[in-house]
Amino acid sequence: MSALQQYGLLLGLTLGTVGFVLSLYMLARSLAKTRKEPGKDVPAASGQLSRDPVWVRYHARYYGYALLFLAFDMEMAFMYPWAVVYKQEGLVALLDMGVFLAILFLGLLYGWSQGALRRQ
Amino acid sequence: MTTALLLLLLAVGAYLVAVIEDWTTSGRFRLAAPAFAALALLGRESIVPRKSDRVFFETAPVLLLISALLAATVIPLTANLIITDLATGALFINAALVYVLVALLMAGWGPNGAYAMIGGWRFLGQLIAYAMLIVMPITAVVMRAESLLTTQIVVSQAGLWNIVYQPLGFILFFVASMALAFLPPFDLTTAKGELAGGVEAEYSGARLAVFRLGRLVLIITLAAAIVVFYLGGWQGPWLPPWAWSAIKILAVTTMMLLAGRYMPRIRETDLLGWCWMLGIPLALLNILLVGLLVLVLP
Repeated sequence: MSALQQYGLLLGLTLGTVGFVLSLYMLARSLAKTRKEPGKDVPAASGQLSRDPVWVRYHARYYGYALLFLAFDMEMAFMYPWAVVYKQEGLVALLDMGVFLAILFLGLLYGWSQGALRRQ
Repeated sequence: MTTALLLLLLAVGAYLVAVIEDWTTSGRFRLAAPAFAALALLGRESIVPRKSDRVFFETAPVLLLISALLAATVIPLTANLIITDLATGALFINAALVYVLVALLMAGWGPNGAYAMIGGWRFLGQLIAYAMLIVMPITAVVMRAESLLTTQIVVSQAGLWNIVYQPLGFILFFVASMALAFLPPFDLTTAKGELAGGVEAEYSGARLAVFRLGRLVLIITLAAAIVVFYLGGWQGPWLPPWAWSAIKILAVTTMMLLAGRYMPRIRETDLLGWCWMLGIPLALLNILLVGLLVLVLP
């Protein structure tokens, strides 16, 4: 299969899954109908509407980790092509990426020492 | 043809996961139970909460299923039994599985309920913890195989399986897979008894059935990924290749489902702490060790 055909197949599977789910919903509807009754559609909170609105800003207490995560995630984008050619390039590749990873790891240690790795 | 066969096998696999999960939680082995449970879910009412974000609410279960299914397409059961042998297979698994986060966040935001919302945000924190432990061990596997093709990764383990070659990577990937599939003790996002089901709390009937199906497919896909990356895929003596794949995948699934049954649910803060202070240094060490081994061994 050519690459284009492969991605075409993946698109087909995605659309097929949507179709499968829709047919499941239709099957469910033919089995039983959802009756409209008052109080039924209240979100789970002991049967009462919650006092405060839910869609508000939350304090993401892991934001210290999240910032470090961005740096590491970017680095991983470089790691995959590097990993494929690693054996051909040999020791040079190890040293190149070793220096890069060492700097990144120092960054992690620095963040750790500054208290980035804790619940804020 | 292969595609249809593999989709059928995936459905059988997901069903067996449900049977095994039932066995690990209740101690009884009931082959028909998941079928009855699914029928019962389809027969029940599927309620949409008031003032919900309808687009997110409807998309989330479908997206979870699609994400797990797309990840399963690049996993080989034998040398030829694979849906798409993508040139970027090992990377594609990551790319597809990131949408698990998107689906769970949507399921958390969509219904406009407090418990669901907390469950959704929790999973974002969980992603920040486990994500690096998924990608870094895969990098080490790719370094040995010199290819992102999943079939090539299996072939590269002909002499020695990766579980022996890089045991550290196996342990990290196994734990991270459990966190990705939100299995106990990492079920922070659903948290039965604490969040009343979390992201699942507002789903009922057919929508809940699709959500649960997506989760089952996700578990079997991750078990298969562990087999492909670390346990030599279809390789083994005496039995035919497909039998080895099936045995290994079911064994890994059982391990994943059993492992968490005897541990208390881990706190999100602790999970983040363990993953970043212990997991990531170990994953970097694993890359270094594998790098040296690849250069030293012929």
